[in-house]
Amino acid sequence: MNKHVKNVTPETTDFSRRSFLVGTAATGLVLGYAGVPGVGEALAAAPANFEPSVWYSISPEGLVTVTCGKADMGQHIASTMAQIVCEELGAKWSDMRVNLASNDPKFNDPVLGAQITGGSWSTMMNFEAMSRAGAAGRMALTEGAAAAMGLPPYFKDELVVRDSMVTHPKSKKSMSFADIVKSGKATKTFTPDELKAIKLKTPDQYTMIGVSVPQIDIPSKTNGTAKYGIDVMIPGMAYGAVVTPPVRYGATVKSVDDSDAKKVPGFIKAVTLDDKTQTTTGWVVAVASTYANAKKAAAALKIAYDGGPNAKLSSQSLLDEAKRLQGLDDSGQFFVKDGDVSAALGSAAKVLEAEYTTSINIHAPMEPMNATAEFKGDILHIYSGNQFATRSGAIAAGAAGIDPKFVVMHQMWLGGGFGRRLDADMMVPAVQAAKAVGKPVKVIYTRENDMTMDFSRPLTYQKVKAGVDGDGKLVALSHDVVSAWPTQRWGIPDFLSPSVDKKGPLDAFTVNGSDFFYTVPNHNVRAIKNEMAHNATPSGQLRSVAPGWTFWAVESMIDEIAAATGKDPAQFRISLLDGAGKNDGGAQRLRNTLLAAMGLAGYGTKKLPKGEGMGVACVSSQERATASWTACVAHVAVAPSGEVTVKKLTVATDVGTQVHPDNIRAQVEGAALWGLSLAMHEKATLKDGGIEQTNFDSYRPLRMSQMPEVAVAVIANGEKATGVGEPAVTVVAPAIGNAIFNASGARVRALPITAEAVKGAMKA
Amino acid sequence: MPTLTINGRSMSVDAANDTPLLWAIREQLQMTGTKFGCGAGLCGACTVHVNGEAVRSCQTMVGDVAGKKITTIEGLSAKGDHPLQKAWIAEQVPQCGYCQSGQIMQAASLLAKNSNPTKEEVVAHMDGNLCRCMTYSRIQKAIMRAATEMRTASAAGNERRPT
Repeated sequence: MNKHVKNVTPETTDFSRRSFLVGTAATGLVLGYAGVPGVGEALAAAPANFEPSVWYSISPEGLVTVTCGKADMGQHIASTMAQIVCEELGAKWSDMRVNLASNDPKFNDPVLGAQITGGSWSTMMNFEAMSRAGAAGRMALTEGAAAAMGLPPYFKDELVVRDSMVTHPKSKKSMSFADIVKSGKATKTFTPDELKAIKLKTPDQYTMIGVSVPQIDIPSKTNGTAKYGIDVMIPGMAYGAVVTPPVRYGATVKSVDDSDAKKVPGFIKAVTLDDKTQTTTGWVVAVASTYANAKKAAAALKIAYDGGPNAKLSSQSLLDEAKRLQGLDDSGQFFVKDGDVSAALGSAAKVLEAEYTTSINIHAPMEPMNATAEFKGDILHIYSGNQFATRSGAIAAGAAGIDPKFVVMHQMWLGGGFGRRLDADMMVPAVQAAKAVGKPVKVIYTRENDMTMDFSRPLTYQKVKAGVDGDGKLVALSHDVVSAWPTQRWGIPDFLSPSVDKKGPLDAFTVNGSDFFYTVPNHNVRAIKNEMAHNATPSGQLRSVAPGWTFWAVESMIDEIAAATGKDPAQFRISLLDGAGKNDGGAQRLRNTLLAAMGLAGYGTKKLPKGEGMGVACVSSQERATASWTACVAHVAVAPSGEVTVKKLTVATDVGTQVHPDNIRAQVEGAALWGLSLAMHEKATLKDGGIEQTNFDSYRPLRMSQMPEVAVAVIANGEKATGVGEPAVTVVAPAIGNAIFNASGARVRALPITAEAVKGAMKA
Repeated sequence: MPTLTINGRSMSVDAANDTPLLWAIREQLQMTGTKFGCGAGLCGACTVHVNGEAVRSCQTMVGDVAGKKITTIEGLSAKGDHPLQKAWIAEQVPQCGYCQSGQIMQAASLLAKNSNPTKEEVVAHMDGNLCRCMTYSRIQKAIMRAATEMRTASAAGNERRPT
């Protein structure tokens, strides 16, 4: 299990360093955990200087503004946080507002202790803290109302809180939140113990959780008013266009000739980056008065490069290296080592062996990477939509040569994240250009910069060996995963995991998912770092990360074993999900989810015409500790040419508790279509050290005309709320691969799936 | 200095004739609802109307649209209440929302000509607009909802129909 998600149970949520403050001022009521010194002083300061510094505030007008410390990239997490607060607070939904947090550590995730958004973690890890914040506010307002109404304090239990009103039915008195705030009577403070002791609502008492309230951010996304990083305007700012080298990583700039650029109107300067953070290599920024001029100037620069050590590498070189590393006995470290795999394989009645690959994939959010940097006195201000303020602020500081405590990150709505905006490369050119020209600078990547300089999903190579006994029982599985290591690149030890064989920490973000919930007595998983790929194609976290490839291998192999032993692939999975030992609980939930998907899809009951088939897969991404339970039945038609038409995807997911049912459906459908896009349409390749695809003509995410029917079943069984942004991404590719086999007998083992590969496999 | 007629107002922009309309709108006029996505006419995020036709503003030069009637998402309706905008909220379409200005402008040019499109016509008209969050099914639903509303509204304006 990964270290950083050790403490996901509410009992261990760390309230010890925090005290809950409730205070009033003429500007409103502010509530939250004060994890940093100075908040008490801020509360005591004059109202004019008062700034909302914690999770939410209530204005004298009664508006409740929740500050969201998570990046909102379309998963509506800001609205979700407001909804959780609103439930316990007893506010009216139309009074709720949201605000995006700066990088101030007081907005750090209560479980993770940093500002990072990913892993489908946010709802799970913030549900408790936001609930307690809301409940504490309700208690403070109730006591304040009792005082303002002239009721003795013991009357407070007779007060009813609903729709931003506190009512005392017996005396028929009532006060709005606005009036309570204006009265200045809400002054209760909570010690950590008192906060922990608050009795939260039980699910039967919920009036907001489980309701699909209108998302707070949506209206602004229909009229052009939502502000993304790219929309930031600062008086006097200049624009930067980036010139990136032909090699993804490792190039250096030998010389820059700006004589032609100087002829471009508004040209200010060409800045060659000196990136001590090593996030970028060989980049130059053309700075000009407008972005159009900056692009013209960028095109006019004549730059000579040294291509560096990776300039000759291709996708094939990375794959060849992966195969070489996998063939070595002492490669990598063990992530899972249960039983005795080699002995069990040696005595198995049948051994299956297969290689699975996935291509380089590009995040390509619709908003190209951008950042605006402004130096004001000692403070560096960064405006950019980012998923990892804690680290990105440090990268910006590194680029500026200053201490990270002098960097203020201004969060914006993210025009797509998908993991891409965990990185901070866009900060570097903005910071160094702003420093060089003495003005604020907004740097915007062209789509070509964005595609070729992505921190991509790495090319992966996996080798799986499975042993079955005479009864067709799966007794051994050996699984090697070779890839670049996306999370090790961050240089943060807490995000690495110890290896089972004590050969040093490994990047679990390359192998998560392979520690599945099937019962296999002898099971090895080896994480092998492809150093060549790691250096040539610095990889990142792409929506669900490792389970996007590990389940491709596992769920394909499980199907192959079922076929080899003459079993129905769904029933075979169910038999492996017996809940023995460490799999107790999770396995049963996954089995139930698979059954739900099968039922909804008509698996085994629908008669399909020749050339059509159904395939199943079931997954538990992201980590075992933070799993959501997701299953898919894919229905495909395969033409004799190998052309595959995905007719329908049926996805079931067990989310425990659903905060916002409509949003869950939106996320699951979007994630499933991402899975389809990666399975069938998206492929990037490396040639001469550079990514060959530069825009949406050569890198082709799914379009409307390619969308199949998608059916979603959400299971809410009252368990703790889990995340839904990612798991459905990972389940679709193996379900499609298995459906293709069911329809045509062709087994495909490489993503993306091509008609040629299907046709080739038919002949074989 | 070219003069542009945008959202019913005449505005001069300090930009060369070969400047893409997109950047003039965003930087000179500071109307940022129109988005940059690909710079090559491949994604539709920058879609605006020129004389009622949906065009990609990243591929349209300022010099070519002087004197023509340009509409951006900010000018589609007075209060963000075009039937499509209302339908986008009713169907809770946007996720990240970045492509949605372009989606709405693209859809508006369809409904202006055909307020009773088939699903196939919707797909054919919208296929050039990428949504990386993959909100396509909700976009379709919202377009159909808005079309129904527009037909109902125009029917109500013409004659009373038995219900």
